[in-house]
Amino acid sequence: MLKAIWDNIKGLYSLVVGLSITGRYLLSPVETIHYPRQVVDDEILASFRGPIQLTLGKKDPAQTRCVSCQMCVKACPGHCLKVTKGEAKAPVAWTYDFSYCCLCGACVESCPTGALEFSHKVYLVTVSREELIFDLLADLKKRAATRAEAPTPTGSAATGSASIAASAGSAAPAPPAAGTAAAAAQPSPKPAQA
Amino acid sequence: MDLSLAIFVQIIVAALLVIGLMVGNAVVMVYMERKVAGFIQRRPGPYEVGPWGTLQALCDSMKLLAKQLYRPGNVDIILYYLAPILAFFPVLLLFLPIPFGPYLTALNVNEGIILILAFAGLGVLSNLLAGWSSNNKYSLLGAARAVSQTVAYEIPMILALLAVVFQCGSMDLKNVTEQQGAWPWEWNVLTQPLAFFIYVVSLVGETNRAPFDLPEAESELAAGFHTEYSGMGFALFFLSEYANMLLVSLVAAVFFLGGYKGPVADGFWWIFIKAYAIMFFLVWIRWTFPRVRFDQLLNINWKWLLPLSLLNLWLTAIIVKLLI
Repeated sequence: MLKAIWDNIKGLYSLVVGLSITGRYLLSPVETIHYPRQVVDDEILASFRGPIQLTLGKKDPAQTRCVSCQMCVKACPGHCLKVTKGEAKAPVAWTYDFSYCCLCGACVESCPTGALEFSHKVYLVTVSREELIFDLLADLKKRAATRAEAPTPTGSAATGSASIAASAGSAAPAPPAAGTAAAAAQPSPKPAQA
Repeated sequence: MDLSLAIFVQIIVAALLVIGLMVGNAVVMVYMERKVAGFIQRRPGPYEVGPWGTLQALCDSMKLLAKQLYRPGNVDIILYYLAPILAFFPVLLLFLPIPFGPYLTALNVNEGIILILAFAGLGVLSNLLAGWSSNNKYSLLGAARAVSQTVAYEIPMILALLAVVFQCGSMDLKNVTEQQGAWPWEWNVLTQPLAFFIYVVSLVGETNRAPFDLPEAESELAAGFHTEYSGMGFALFFLSEYANMLLVSLVAAVFFLGGYKGPVADGFWWIFIKAYAIMFFLVWIRWTFPRVRFDQLLNINWKWLLPLSLLNLWLTAIIVKLLI
């Protein structure tokens, strides 16, 4: 009986502990990023898994590594991929309907040649569903062209992913660095850097 | 102009001022609540409307004014529309005996605290009517909870205030204020710390605030007794809820924190600073503690607050008797 009463009184101390924690949070600066005025660093975006894209080719960056084996098409639970095989193994059309994509990554996992990867497009916005159907081959060509204009990875990553590219080593076609650079070069509704 | 007419005019003017105070208080409190909630959760809170989101509460009230008054089927129409009005108007009366400044009292009443406690009980009637007439199980459950909770928490609240009344020998709020000094060590909170603690805990229960917000527990009861109210019906409940918070905080300031008295210069600013400090504390604990279960809520009241307040009252009576 007395012990129960004493326990209850001691329990009041935990209320004070809780109040002190929230009081400390109340006074500490906010953690959230105010999107239109501020954006997160590209360093954080390197781990962001956005819509998939084709990886840059090993010899010619504009040439995809895809061999049209249709493994990704079979693996996709949302049926959002369509790969048309050409004369050789290389695909002639690669459409990706992002409106059906659940970002599960089954296509990336199943690809035997490593032709697919997640992009880091965090600011992807469209005004219609049709715009969400991407032609990934054209996208790859565009990214390769942007990379060709600025040859070194550190140079292409002018918007702030320089540290990532540097940490990925001096090897030019390091996939994460290239991906980040490509994402940064995408024509997205990118706000001014705060 | 005879005397009764003068008092009538005085009360009308006071009632209009109190309505202004209630609306202004709700706007300030909505902003404060959302900002404090934001900062406690490490986010900025309302930010877009006006500088630092200051106009957000105004926009919300405009939205509430413009909304359709939707009435669900099979409600008890008279009670359904009476309940928000009944929630709003008694609160007007409650502000009249509060001494906001040395000469700023709408109505000088000898037993002001009895007036306040008596009419504060009407608020729960409006909750009950709202829950009953809404023809909704969530509303009815919320109303049942509101009644048992408010009735229970009124008792330690009254007993805590009664200890101060014993000590001061007066039920007049102005008299109670006058017996305290300007500085914090001359306030009643030093002589009646237990009563102050009991009063603060039971005012959280009385105003249905988290962690004692069982009557409108969102996760269990949708919105409790005001589930079926939209537009101005909801807004009136909302207004009266915040006005009730302000009222109990003002009473706490008068009884325990020296009312309008304060360092440098006495005046209404001190009572508002003290009342809003208590309200800030209420918001703070709302975003700190989880909601209690209903049996825990009643256990806190009947097993702790009530015996403690009786003990406190008894000790106060003995000490007052011995000293005088």
